[in-house]
Amino acid sequence: MKTEFKEPTLKERILGMLGVDFYRLLNTPLFYIFLAISAIIPAMVSAMTVMPGPDGAASTPLYSNVWQIIAAGEPLYVVKSIADYANMNMVYIFGGIMVSIFIGHDYNSGYVKQLFTSHPKKQDYMISKSLTCAFAMVCMCVSYFIGGTVAGLLVGYDTAVNVPSLILAILGKCVMSLGWASLYTFLNIIFRRYFGLGVASSFFFGTGILIIGAAAIADGLSLDPSFLNIFLYGSSVNACLSSGLGTLIICLLVSLSWAVIYNLLGTLVLDRCDVY
Amino acid sequence: MNAIEIRGLTKSFRGMYALDGLNMTVPEGAIYGFIGENGSGKSTTEKLICGHLVADAGEIKLFGRDYNDAGVRIRVGALIENAGCFPGSSVYQNLRMQCINLGLDDIDGEIMRVLKIVRMEDNASLKFKSCSLGMKQRVGIAMALLGKPALLILDEPINGLDTDGMRIMREILVDITRTHGCTVLISSHILSELEKIATHYGVICRGRMVAELSASELEGRSRSYLSLKCQDMDRAYKILKDTYGNIRAVDGYIRVYDEDDSASVVKLLCEGGCIPCELSKNKIGLLEYYTELMSGWGE
Repeated sequence: MKTEFKEPTLKERILGMLGVDFYRLLNTPLFYIFLAISAIIPAMVSAMTVMPGPDGAASTPLYSNVWQIIAAGEPLYVVKSIADYANMNMVYIFGGIMVSIFIGHDYNSGYVKQLFTSHPKKQDYMISKSLTCAFAMVCMCVSYFIGGTVAGLLVGYDTAVNVPSLILAILGKCVMSLGWASLYTFLNIIFRRYFGLGVASSFFFGTGILIIGAAAIADGLSLDPSFLNIFLYGSSVNACLSSGLGTLIICLLVSLSWAVIYNLLGTLVLDRCDVY
Repeated sequence: MNAIEIRGLTKSFRGMYALDGLNMTVPEGAIYGFIGENGSGKSTTEKLICGHLVADAGEIKLFGRDYNDAGVRIRVGALIENAGCFPGSSVYQNLRMQCINLGLDDIDGEIMRVLKIVRMEDNASLKFKSCSLGMKQRVGIAMALLGKPALLILDEPINGLDTDGMRIMREILVDITRTHGCTVLISSHILSELEKIATHYGVICRGRMVAELSASELEGRSRSYLSLKCQDMDRAYKILKDTYGNIRAVDGYIRVYDEDDSASVVKLLCEGGCIPCELSKNKIGLLEYYTELMSGWGE
């Protein structure tokens, strides 16, 4: 009996792996837990900003407008208060932890062996994980938007907003999810044998500490901070309530560029190193 | 055509060589028993074939193609170390994921087919973490069988299986090679089980292939011997040594090789004042062959 082999196309290979990842994502509690977290956190922040202090005195609200929980009024590369920090960019932090758990589970369970046995092309793994996790982060952005908006309205913040800019800011942040998901996939490939390090590195990069440091230096040297838009965190911050179409295009280009870079680097690592 | 052809495969971990220029040939349609002691390099070889590890040097070909060929690898089923299933998902969900991964069409039909083969059709809804060790092993085999693989790589698949499970496993392997022409590479320490199904053997020691032979070649090399026990073993050994040159003391017995005439052996011992209390005619099997090969290699 002659054994025949049919070479699967790139589309067939990616669809096979994407199918597994989406099935896992949608059939396990992890994704839904993070969706809930994404909705609850902005609601909690909104509610807490108007709560009276321990002495009973009314606290000064952190926001004056309901949409500031979604995005800052203008690009804030250097955060000065917690209010600057607490917007939809927090999704990238939760998302990073979710990606770490998602990929870490692949390795802990040993299922990754099945994937790599049937898929010798390592870019399949990188592409599939990046796209699946980007989808999850977009869903988390939507969940964040709903949670933040509902809570903000209930608290009674002002609702005045430039609607196109708000939409562009939200779209920009959604678009940035691909770049962030690729970064987290890459980081968790690097730390594939050390789950704790994977989570810690995702959290570290998600908070944008590195770029905030770079921004502080740029600020101190009176440099134009817009050059920071070449980084994921910079573009994510740039998608704000004063966004125009140019912001969305920048987000798209930056996200795609970093996604390609991280996918290539991840593939290189997987090709050269033992995967399990 | 050979299903697996490995030449000069080398792999080291932090300077320690796990494989040192391994050569291996597995003919298509064979059940290849891969034997070796712990740490000899069996699992490393299997992981390299499956692409889990990156070799330092050497060449691996599967069905005449490079082992990284996507068309070949999609037809490789493997069970290495553990089943590789998500513990919180059910048996059905785990199998479904693998079906999607392989791009199979009739997913439910395929899942039922493999579950029937491993006699687990009533446990599809069971969470993987709730399965017993033996059941987990069967699920792993079911995973490997999805999509009718051309090459099946099984690392210690009999571990954790009960007597009935071992019998089922034998039947499965023989059946898939006969009906689908599947090639099986199986490593195991339970040589008595391996001997019942393997058509070819490969013996690995310290990362090198010590011997490769077919079951018929092993049969041809098999030597018959008389195994006996006396009260005074030293004296019996001395008496027999003078007449029969080819004798050895193994595991508390004296073996007289290539001698079928048990009557003359008994007579000789009795004349020397040594009455045998146990006597049997035997043939060297896989275990004896392996033991002898290893002792020779060790020296």
